[in-house]
Amino acid sequence: MHMMAAQPAPAGDQTPLFALNHLAYTYPDGTPGLRGIRLDLFPGDRIALVGRNGSGKSTLIRHLNGLLTPQTGTCLYQGQCINESLIPELRLRVGILFQDPDDHLFCPTLYEDVAFGPRNQGRNEAEVDRLVRDNLAAVGLDTLRHKAAHHLSYGQKKRAALAAILAMEPEVLILDEPTANLDPRQEAVFKRILHEYAGTLIVIEHDLLFLYGLCDRAVVLADGRVHHDYGFNDLVSHPQALRDHGLDFAFRFTCCGHHRDGAGHHRHHHPTHAHGPDCDHLPALETGLPLIELQHYSFCYPDGSPGIDNINLALFAGENLALVGENGAGKSTLAHCLLGLHRGEGAFLVDGKPLTKRDWRGLWRRVGIVFQHSSDQLFCPSCWEEVAFGPQQMGIAAGEAERRVREALALVRLEGFEERVPLHLSGGERKRLAIAAALSLHPEVLILDEPTASLDPKSEELLLAVLDALPMAKVLITHDLFFIRHLCRRTVVLHQGRIVRDYPTDEFLVDDRLQAINGLDYTYKNTCFTEIQAMRRENGREE
Amino acid sequence: MTPTLIQTFTLTPSQGAILLLCLLTPPLLLLAFRWKRKLSSGQREISPDWSIPTIDAQAQGSSLFHTWTPAVKIGSLLIVSFLIVALHALFWSAVGLAFALLTVHLARIPWQRPLRRLAAMSGLCVLFLLILPLTSPLRSGDTLLVVPLLEGMPLRLTGVILSLTITCKAATVALLMEPMFATAELARTLQGFATLGLPSSLTQMILLCHRYLFVFQQEAARMQRAMRVRGFVPGTNLATLRTTGNALGMLFIRSFERTERVYEAMLSRGYRGAFPATSREKIAAGDLAKAAVSIMIGLLLLVLDRLAPTPRF
Repeated sequence: MHMMAAQPAPAGDQTPLFALNHLAYTYPDGTPGLRGIRLDLFPGDRIALVGRNGSGKSTLIRHLNGLLTPQTGTCLYQGQCINESLIPELRLRVGILFQDPDDHLFCPTLYEDVAFGPRNQGRNEAEVDRLVRDNLAAVGLDTLRHKAAHHLSYGQKKRAALAAILAMEPEVLILDEPTANLDPRQEAVFKRILHEYAGTLIVIEHDLLFLYGLCDRAVVLADGRVHHDYGFNDLVSHPQALRDHGLDFAFRFTCCGHHRDGAGHHRHHHPTHAHGPDCDHLPALETGLPLIELQHYSFCYPDGSPGIDNINLALFAGENLALVGENGAGKSTLAHCLLGLHRGEGAFLVDGKPLTKRDWRGLWRRVGIVFQHSSDQLFCPSCWEEVAFGPQQMGIAAGEAERRVREALALVRLEGFEERVPLHLSGGERKRLAIAAALSLHPEVLILDEPTASLDPKSEELLLAVLDALPMAKVLITHDLFFIRHLCRRTVVLHQGRIVRDYPTDEFLVDDRLQAINGLDYTYKNTCFTEIQAMRRENGREE
Repeated sequence: MTPTLIQTFTLTPSQGAILLLCLLTPPLLLLAFRWKRKLSSGQREISPDWSIPTIDAQAQGSSLFHTWTPAVKIGSLLIVSFLIVALHALFWSAVGLAFALLTVHLARIPWQRPLRRLAAMSGLCVLFLLILPLTSPLRSGDTLLVVPLLEGMPLRLTGVILSLTITCKAATVALLMEPMFATAELARTLQGFATLGLPSSLTQMILLCHRYLFVFQQEAARMQRAMRVRGFVPGTNLATLRTTGNALGMLFIRSFERTERVYEAMLSRGYRGAFPATSREKIAAGDLAKAAVSIMIGLLLLVLDRLAPTPRF
């Protein structure tokens, strides 16, 4: 067990903005949320609040905004106890951005959403109008201010929710997992805005590289207690403490280097058509028979919004392929096409043969998927039923189905979870259960849409080990460079529904032109990590 | 047995065709819509497009309905709707329907929207149009209509008139909904209702329902997709019922959890039980003039319905 670090002394005789003394909270079902928290937060602090899933981070920040009141202990704001009379005022000064942006956008238009807070602050309409326009412009959504939230992409919603909080000009800004499911370009918008924010900042985030340079203080929670409270640089350069709390991100290191241009022409493995002399096919690779091949495949949504355009892609048995691109590039649409959920135009070959009507109906037996929001995938009352659902639909005999369920649960290391309710599992467990549900079908291809979103580093490591051991072909849709590097030998880059690169992952990792292509700028994080490594070496802590 | 004072009137082929066309318009409209939906969704996607039409999709415009202050517009058109519903005669109900068609035209709303609305309610109208002409009770002085080629199924004139009158009035109200609700943003429309006295808690609930309907629809669609990729094909068996029940239960729990999270997000931004008041829209003389004209038309129809003789067969 590591030593618990003491809270750093404030500079001078500064009065804490928040003083938490022996704060404890237990949920109505008896689950302990916080246990004896002692913490002082000072004006101007920039705090990274980190810890494993379920360590009490979200419960703690709810106390700072008066959404939860202390059951035992005290929580003081500027020396005053947070009680019913103080809470209305407190909520106008302390802004919280929750994980799901849909929770924040409850008005008919973005304008109304952003104006909601300032109007509650009693500001006049002219000032409200200025704040709405300024803050929507700051997040790049000024042209969409009269749009309804359901017309926006996930990244746009997330930025709109941030604008709605910032429009209140909060004294304290609290963000819960601000970058989950965002591509690097959207992440950069958050980073820029948070750099410019002058008040007290508290960020809950598993991606410590995002926090590097943004926060100067780190509070580590474990089992509802403060385990560390020290400088952020001390935390990241202290590998043992990170490991103890499941926060070690050392495995994420990647480096920059050379780059090269991608190929212009495409190749098909089965001749289905010929082009004119100006656009000929490249010779097929000597890599055997592709399991699935798309040739000039396009799909457009019924409402006219673009999906994918002229996709040429071959996927081989046992191959791991990374599908990358900015939010809205068409990655999920392509995945849905591979599953047969969307039927586009062009050739769709399986084992070298075009799909018949019957093949389309049975595609689910060969291609499995784990959706980005794994909660959407889980609809049964127990884990056992969840995993058994697929085999039951296949009409497999009860004994064989039972064997498959046990095998799938063992593969994802969820033995003993058979009777648990899926909705009550942690994010990482739900993700693994969704994988088990797909594995029980024995698919030849497994598609994973953003598998690492909202997982803490410990859960990520476990997921990585699970995926590494699976033998089937995998299509990984992710922005997580480490997962791509570790799992995939081939990377396909999508941009505006088209494949702009299809090359070995080693070449993708050194392709510094990607930022110009679609904002996939990973070099900043590489630089951060290099600096952290240097700090560790200086401290003699590098392992 | 047919009562003695019943008259029988044999229609000419052209009269019979016109009558059948009138009676079969709603079912044909319904079938045409279903066929169009199947045609558009069948080509590209396996499942039909169940997207929810946005109620205020045509809110941006400059027609006389768009520039009409919502409170006055809603109040006036509601009164007109009640007046038209109170009509008795088929002729004046048809005139009311013509007035409603004119309002949709003047509101410059694409015809697809009102047609979709009419198709949605045509199922109910079909029942009236098919059943009432055959089943309405015969009284002394009633007329039986004999349609060529359908001599074995004489139609009761009172039933035909009654079913067509009901259909006309229902279509009129459905059509008036378009200029009433589609020509202003939902928030303004609801503010108009609040001005007319609807409790603010109810308008807030409608506003939130409208917003989260789309979120729940997306969640339901994702869950349905997840079921499909694991081989679920809905059938008429116990397993389908159990699976659907599980999915609906899960959606309900998640919806409940979301309501708590949304409420927390609202509280954290200073919500104290009421949406912050924005300035109320002023009522101009033009608004009142439009209200007076529309109500006068409604009243005129009612007066004519009660006093003027109506054309007869």
